[in-house]
Amino acid sequence: MTTPSRAWGNLTLTGKVVIPLLFLVLVVGPILTILVATVVGPWLMDVLNSNLGIVRFVVAIGGVLLFSIPAAFIIIYMELKVIAFMNLRIGPDRVGPKGALHSLVAGLKVLTKEDFTPTGADPIVFTWAPVLVFLTSVMVLLVVPFGPGLVGQDLNVGLLYLFAVGGMSVVGLLLAGWSSFNKYSLLGGLRAAAQVVSYEIPLTLSVVGLILLAGTMSLNQIAEAQAGWFTDWFVFRQPLGALIFFIAAIAEANRTPFDMAEADSEIVAGFATEYSGMRFGFLFFAEYVNVFIISALLTTFFFGAWNAPIDINAVLEAFGLAPIAVALDPASLGIGLPILIVVVPVVLTLVFAAPFYLARSSTPAWQALLLGFMLFNVVAIGTLFLLAYIGWPWLAGLVWFFLKSFAFVYVFVWMRGTFPRVRIDQLMGFAWKWLLPASLLNLFVTAAAIIIVKS
Amino acid sequence: MSFIPGIGLVRGMGLTLRRFFQPKATIRWPEEKADVAPKFRGRLQLLYDEFGTLKCETCFQCAQACPIECIDMGGMDTKGRFHVHWGPPETYGERREESALRRSGRPVADPAYARFETLDPAAVDEILEAHDYDPRDLLAILEETQAAYGYLPVAALKHISRVTGAWYATIYGAATSYRHLRFEPPAIASAAPAGEGQREQEAGYRSALDAALGYGSERPG
Repeated sequence: MTTPSRAWGNLTLTGKVVIPLLFLVLVVGPILTILVATVVGPWLMDVLNSNLGIVRFVVAIGGVLLFSIPAAFIIIYMELKVIAFMNLRIGPDRVGPKGALHSLVAGLKVLTKEDFTPTGADPIVFTWAPVLVFLTSVMVLLVVPFGPGLVGQDLNVGLLYLFAVGGMSVVGLLLAGWSSFNKYSLLGGLRAAAQVVSYEIPLTLSVVGLILLAGTMSLNQIAEAQAGWFTDWFVFRQPLGALIFFIAAIAEANRTPFDMAEADSEIVAGFATEYSGMRFGFLFFAEYVNVFIISALLTTFFFGAWNAPIDINAVLEAFGLAPIAVALDPASLGIGLPILIVVVPVVLTLVFAAPFYLARSSTPAWQALLLGFMLFNVVAIGTLFLLAYIGWPWLAGLVWFFLKSFAFVYVFVWMRGTFPRVRIDQLMGFAWKWLLPASLLNLFVTAAAIIIVKS
Repeated sequence: MSFIPGIGLVRGMGLTLRRFFQPKATIRWPEEKADVAPKFRGRLQLLYDEFGTLKCETCFQCAQACPIECIDMGGMDTKGRFHVHWGPPETYGERREESALRRSGRPVADPAYARFETLDPAAVDEILEAHDYDPRDLLAILEETQAAYGYLPVAALKHISRVTGAWYATIYGAATSYRHLRFEPPAIASAAPAGEGQREQEAGYRSALDAALGYGSERPG
């Protein structure tokens, strides 16, 4: 027996884990770092720089894909919690604080479940249908502007792309319904097809007036056209269009009260009946990503996208103040910066702790210090966030965009907690007899108004 | 109002929004326990097994334990095949008769209460005679009985039930719903019954009410 193997045998289980890790960090890590920095790095940067368009696309779709998962988790949790509150229950409360990790654990559960393909199902189509459904949702997110400059691909035909790709999800639903070899699934798929195709028309027509007003089909430019006060938002110029878009978008996303495609009390779960495991997870995920998408689109088109409702610079100007601009250059402090980093927390902690210590003689020093430290943290984080908000327009835009989007997500969840499902003939009749004429009227009135104003 | 299109939708949304902010009904068992009365025994219900037959074994334990005799057992054998019973058969027969008697609505002598039956009912009889054996004067009868014995003996209640024809459950219920009536002799003999001061106040209210209604000193029966 050689010495290294004997030494290995003497190690405890912890040692067997820690020693290889130490080896990786201390030996392999530096070698790899030097290798990447000297040889691989420059070559890789050259390759990436010469293919900037592809890199940008890959990063964008990766970011959107990664973003869609926590967004769906948050919306699922929100739906469980909000509907529970409306039923006078408290909803999930076991996993994590207030049950916040519930949907994460549910996602893990879905991953560990058996992925079953029923006999008679078309295995290839059955496997790829959920992928198609999920992919279309993620691809739609690619053109959504999350903030100034935070857009995956700023297509000049963004709206067209949006409806083209968004309409593709119904193909996935139809494939899922057909390939399941189940009458409920087929019924669900057909319902989805009929409904989505019908509502696609008023949905598209409702934003044509908006295209006329904005003069562009790029979502980024539509967002920029609504800058300024909240009165500049398109909802005040296209109220009917916004209403039609709202209703048709719910139907497009197969949400209550238009969830005919997966009416679980009528046709079990529609196209998702035969799905299990992560394939069902994809269908389920796509549904909630769709909820986020319609909220985000409603925000982008009609509610000012990432613009704040109040033009803060205009307000400041009205009071005779200069617009706030933060140009922090921490590097200019030189050696002062590390000293400041060490000194400021201590001093501020003491300053904040002093009133607690002085106010009541019975307060022990450690309690006062703890309170002061916590207060300092709150103030420091608040200041940092404020500086970031002022200094980085993309962060401010992101904050407003998510605030508005999740307000609409709340509205959709709220509606799900309130409304019963509509009958399928009423659903179709509403699309063709009311929404379509209304959207045409909206288009004609907008066009006429533009001609009158311009002439 | 109702013909404005969409008003129903708005009202529904308003309802759910109000519910959203209302306090929640969920009790987070086992961290929180529901606040129930100590004598709460759940909902009384006869259960059926998977074959659709009653799970009851006709043991009469529940009927015997019931403090207000609200449980009334019936039927010879619930399985329809043979008698299933714990204990000697003659007891079972007695219990069956007892049960039948109970179902008839008449008061039944119950051996479980034999240890309470050591009462000279002369005082109760006197009180009942004064009230013409009328169970509508139940509260007055109970109050006078308590004045005579110092508390309400169970035997006295059963005697009242037997003589007036009022159900024991009714009498027991009436007696339990007044705080100044008690079922045990007071620990301190001189202690006033609960709510004694309140009784005077109530008497004041009653006389005021009588005056308002135009009754004299004599009240209509």
